[in-house]
Amino acid sequence: MPQLDFSVFPSQFFWLTICFFTLLFIMSKFIIPKLGEMINLRKEKIDSELATAERLKKQVEEGIERYETALREASQKANLALQKTKDELNDTVNRKQSDLAARLNAEIAQGEQRIEAAKSKALQKIEEASVDLAVDVLAKFGISKVSAEKVRKTIAGLEGE
Amino acid sequence: MSNPMEQFVIKPIIPLKIGDVDVSFTNSSLFMVIAVVACTAMFALCLRKRSLVPNAAQSLVESLYEFVHNLLKENVGMEGLKYFPFIFTVFTFVAFGNVLGLFPYAFTFTSHLTAVGCLSLIALLFNICIGIKKKKIGWLRTFLPRGIPLALAPLIVPIEMISFLSKPFSLTVRLVANMTVGHIMLKIIAGFIVGLGVLGAVPLLFDSAIICFEIFISLLQAFIYTVLSCIYLGDAIHEH
Repeated sequence: MPQLDFSVFPSQFFWLTICFFTLLFIMSKFIIPKLGEMINLRKEKIDSELATAERLKKQVEEGIERYETALREASQKANLALQKTKDELNDTVNRKQSDLAARLNAEIAQGEQRIEAAKSKALQKIEEASVDLAVDVLAKFGISKVSAEKVRKTIAGLEGE
Repeated sequence: MSNPMEQFVIKPIIPLKIGDVDVSFTNSSLFMVIAVVACTAMFALCLRKRSLVPNAAQSLVESLYEFVHNLLKENVGMEGLKYFPFIFTVFTFVAFGNVLGLFPYAFTFTSHLTAVGCLSLIALLFNICIGIKKKKIGWLRTFLPRGIPLALAPLIVPIEMISFLSKPFSLTVRLVANMTVGHIMLKIIAGFIVGLGVLGAVPLLFDSAIICFEIFISLLQAFIYTVLSCIYLGDAIHEH
């Protein structure tokens, strides 16, 4: 078996050592630094971009939270304002309604008074007219001694019965 | 039919001697050099246009990097990352040696005990250096774990030494055996293709399937070799 021929050992050892250390030299001086540099650069970039993404995500979340808080506050404020306006409107309406009612009542009362006054005036006038009429009727019958005063009393006496 | 073991024969290409020692440039050496060149070329090509968003080629080599990186991190821990270039080189060198050997007429230097043994020896020496540098004299504790009575030392120390030295041996044998067997099988079945004439289509299909399997085995063995190197490195760094 050629594998067991140890006479080639010095040659094998000599050349293998040269080749191996040459390759080791090339690898450690040129290839591995180049490879490692690129891989580390990529890793750093990926890491930094991941960190940036994380930061942005946080910012966005904070923004969303701020927005929601603001929205909640605004809607609360709007509700309050709405409620206030509604209350004010109700107040105004109620006040105006009661004002109107009071004025109307007053006017009704005044009207009633006026009607009452007119009525009593009219009644008085009717009375006077009826007295005059009675005096005139009596005068037609030739009774002129009866004064208007007496007639009035008589009528009053009649009304009293 | 040609001898299936013939493919493993080491032939000198450029005879070379340092003193009395024969260090000829052989077909095995040639493929080690090819592995280094191919590996460098692949990485250089894939990293030619680097960008933050990688293209297919770049992400291929980057996934290799991250694969070995994770392997080291899981088996040794963060302090093991200092030795990343070593482990990464072991992985790429073995993987390229294995895969290059699958090309027709190629030589698989990872199927040779002497070659892989040297690599394991380098890894062993590396581990010893790290261990001594890290634990100073306490590194000798490797051979006599804490809590063992001194009286047992004559028994434990040899056992621990054998276990320590058998690690690179098992690493080597595992890789060599896998590579050798795969190549012998490919060669034997390839011999049938010619021998059987028209019926050779059957072994041809079989060989095609095996070569796919062998590619997988090549990468798997490189992975196993690397994992075990990581584990031994972890042993060197951490306490027992």
